[in-house]
Amino acid sequence: MARVTPTHTPATKYILACLLAITLLLSDINYQTFSSLRGGVQATGIYSQLFLGSLFSRLLAFNTLNEDKKTLIRENHQLRDQLQLFKNKVFLEKQLQLIRTDLLDLEHGLQNLMDVGQVRIFKIGSFGLANYLCCSKHILHLQNPNQLNVLNNLPVAIDKTFIGQTKTQHLGLIEVILFSDISHVLPASINGLPCNAQGAGQPMLARCTVTADSIEPGIETTSPVLTSGLGGVFPKGVRIGSVQSIDKISLDEFSIEIRLDGNPINHSYFGVLGGS
Amino acid sequence: MKLSSHLFIFLTIFSGFWLDSVIATFNIRTYITLLEGIPYLVETCIGFLILSYWIYALPEKIQSSAALFYGLLIDLFFGSAIGFNMLFFSGISYVIHVYVFRFRIFSYLQLIIFFGGASIFYIACKYLIFSPENYSYLLLLVSFFINALLWLPIYYLMRSMRRTFL
Repeated sequence: MARVTPTHTPATKYILACLLAITLLLSDINYQTFSSLRGGVQATGIYSQLFLGSLFSRLLAFNTLNEDKKTLIRENHQLRDQLQLFKNKVFLEKQLQLIRTDLLDLEHGLQNLMDVGQVRIFKIGSFGLANYLCCSKHILHLQNPNQLNVLNNLPVAIDKTFIGQTKTQHLGLIEVILFSDISHVLPASINGLPCNAQGAGQPMLARCTVTADSIEPGIETTSPVLTSGLGGVFPKGVRIGSVQSIDKISLDEFSIEIRLDGNPINHSYFGVLGGS
Repeated sequence: MKLSSHLFIFLTIFSGFWLDSVIATFNIRTYITLLEGIPYLVETCIGFLILSYWIYALPEKIQSSAALFYGLLIDLFFGSAIGFNMLFFSGISYVIHVYVFRFRIFSYLQLIIFFGGASIFYIACKYLIFSPENYSYLLLLVSFFINALLWLPIYYLMRSMRRTFL
């Protein structure tokens, strides 16, 4: 059990230690010999405590300050995000307002066109600008995400005029052939003179070829060109453009260039008139 | 013994005396606010019991000089009169050294009684030297039971610490 061999404990060292302790104790109690030493140690202890307390409170204050800064930075980020969100919202509202205005204008224009009954508005899906500006084929596609059944050969309008007619429908897109397409022929009327306005293959341009004896004196540049209603697609008497020039192409034939009013480039929404 | 071991032992003794002072402060406040009508009843000696344990457990390593030095440091740090703890630390060290091998065959109850008695001797001398007007046998009696009860937890705690760190 014992880890060392039992030995005799010499009392001398303990007696000396006790005598030393008693001497110190008596001198301290009676003469306050070590009061300065004791006081110094206690003062050191107290100062240490105060110093540590001060250090701790400073650390705490620093930590609080740091937390405040972090909170401010976080709030700043939040405010910046909110501002960004607000800006985006305002921008989107503005865009929405523009679209609404556009739609209202379109509706207003369509109301003036005719009393066909049903008017449906579609957003543009794609427009072959390269072909439109260079070549003969002038086609645009309207989005039909709800797959509404839109018949072929229905008038397509913007503002207060027509620009073409529906040709066919593929999946969610309605193909529209414009008046300026070279394969499109529109029965028109210029000051009562009926003619077939064929697309010129150039933007906003169509041509009528008429005989020399049919040209009346009243037909001149800026004369309005109206739909004749003979094709059964477009209603009668709606202005689609004006005469731009009248050229003699042979002895008894004249070519009348018609400047079309509807410019599809400037519009995002198009109305399709007529039932499904 | 290594200096680090001495430092560790002193730290445990220091912690015990610090705990004593905390308990005394709490006791005095309670006494002032609640029990003013009755005598001051309890004085713990956790630091003294911890020192006793170390001498009991490591008698060959804690001799008179170590006990004297621990006593000096405790006197300095806790503001006692210089020499008081030195004297009692040396005294208890001597007693334990003399009977250390008999303590090995003591039962826990006998150890409790011995160390409880040593602690109330310490308390009694403390009151007789520094505050004789507050000396009370009731205080000694209650303190004896409290310190005797404290011996076993201190014994097991210090033993586990000794096995872990020393």
